[in-house]
Amino acid sequence: MELFLQQLVSGVSIGAIYSLLAVGYALVYSVYNFTNWAFDAFMAFGAFAAFTAILWLFLPFWLAMLISIVLTIVLSVGVEKLAYSTLRRRKAPRLFMMISAMGVNLAIVNIINKIFGGTFRKFPIESVQPVFLGGVSIGRMDLIAGVISFGVLALLWLFLYRTKWGLGIRASAIDILTASLMGINNDAVAVIIFTITGVLSSVAGVFYGIKYAVYPMMGIVTIKAMIASIVGGLGSLPAAILGSMLLGVLETLVSGYISSSYRDLFSFLFLIVILLFFPNGLMGKSGEEKL
Amino acid sequence: MGYLTAILILGGINIIATLGVAILTGYTGLFTIGHAGFMALGGYMSAILVKELHVPFPIALLIGGTFAGLCSFIIGYPAFRSRLRGDYFAIATLGFSEAIRLILNNTKTLGPINLGGAFGYMNIPSHTNVWVVLFTLFLALLFAHMFVTSHYGKNCIAVAQDEVAAQMMGVNLLKTKLIALFISAFYAGVAGGLLGFYFAYLSPSFFTITKSSDLLAAVVFGGIQSLIGPFVTAFVLVAVPEVLRALAEWRLIIYGFLFVIVMIFRPQGLLGYVEMNLNFARLLWQKWFGRKLAEG
Repeated sequence: MELFLQQLVSGVSIGAIYSLLAVGYALVYSVYNFTNWAFDAFMAFGAFAAFTAILWLFLPFWLAMLISIVLTIVLSVGVEKLAYSTLRRRKAPRLFMMISAMGVNLAIVNIINKIFGGTFRKFPIESVQPVFLGGVSIGRMDLIAGVISFGVLALLWLFLYRTKWGLGIRASAIDILTASLMGINNDAVAVIIFTITGVLSSVAGVFYGIKYAVYPMMGIVTIKAMIASIVGGLGSLPAAILGSMLLGVLETLVSGYISSSYRDLFSFLFLIVILLFFPNGLMGKSGEEKL
Repeated sequence: MGYLTAILILGGINIIATLGVAILTGYTGLFTIGHAGFMALGGYMSAILVKELHVPFPIALLIGGTFAGLCSFIIGYPAFRSRLRGDYFAIATLGFSEAIRLILNNTKTLGPINLGGAFGYMNIPSHTNVWVVLFTLFLALLFAHMFVTSHYGKNCIAVAQDEVAAQMMGVNLLKTKLIALFISAFYAGVAGGLLGFYFAYLSPSFFTITKSSDLLAAVVFGGIQSLIGPFVTAFVLVAVPEVLRALAEWRLIIYGFLFVIVMIFRPQGLLGYVEMNLNFARLLWQKWFGRKLAEG
């Protein structure tokens, strides 16, 4: 029972990281109608930025995290300006945006691979004593990852639903052309969205790196975020979070009780089963895919 | 000579797999980043048939391809039925191919058959030579051309351009997409089989996401709705890294930047929307010889 509870907590904390990723995809998709495939490269970049800051510049963890967030924001907004904005202005089909994003992804991941090599590295942070809660030991990093991830999601919710800028983004998500006619600056919306994307991917990257390992292909975990948002039901933030939690718990249970080498197989089977019995996901209602 | 033959064989195999991706991505507009998984399925299946059951080589290739095609329905049917949009379908294919690779990596033995797990399936009879590849390639190209110019191919193009409009004109979306997926997985399966019979062994490490991105890259650079474009680029993308060994490490970085640049400056790809036919030969003939005749 204690083991089960431990797995559950661990699953929720990995689910929180998946939710960050799922929300990051949903945000870009809702406004620009394309999947930001470069997102997983941003995540690896964020993790490596923090990794380098700690290992080579001997900075404390929180400072490294801050630097990683800032650098990832710069990268994310830079990619938007260089690769996406031209296509956006030309109103290119979203197929082209997707291909462009895949290109960014390939380039960044392989540059990281070229600089650091493809090996798995342990995130340089001293292991701390787990917290004991009624006999259940909880990894302190799991706890921090969970709390910070939920904190970031809560801040994002406040930003989107309680500020004027958030209103502008939600208006753009409904119809970007009408929104710009109403005086919403499209370029400013793009910068804000890709800034948020940068924050989300950096936080997710650092905590995922701490939990497993830091390596150039670590962004492949964003598949899980996609699976989670399909499972939850495309279209809403709560559904993405529900899907992420379910997937995170399922995965830790599989690696705890069956075998960690079959973990990814089970998440994929989970997706197929959900699609067969709930074609719109667990909470999905219609084909509308908005925030 | 042996080196040149190797490039021809590997290039030819790559073209066969790329033609499959061209039918799915270029013509039907469905993104795939998991065709390496279908290559693995077809490759292992046909290798097992020849080595363990002594099935004749061409029949084993066909069965391997069909097997890959049938397996594609495992993701195709649920994904298309629930109208998973393009990007999520791409993720499903990626997940599928990673799952296949995981299973192969962890399967040491399959009944009496020693699959070797991560070490690879050894001692496959070596049947692939340059003539086999060229002949298969010829058939593959002929069939792909016949497919995309047929009624079914036109349905595919219609689906790629506007699903709602296509459906209103009476195109069965599910069926059209499943046919395109089946054929493209079949091509990948045959290519995987040829690869196994060429190297005489198969390892799960052949079929990583890098292989899938290479196939997609060939179609993107070659052009949307074109067979001849991906045909040319698939060969070039195999031949150039072989010739310029020094660049091999930079290959994917360069591809990445090229993706972005191509999308900004020539989004339809090198030969996008150029149909493969002999018109260009006739035009060239007229241009070079017609003028001479006229002058003469």
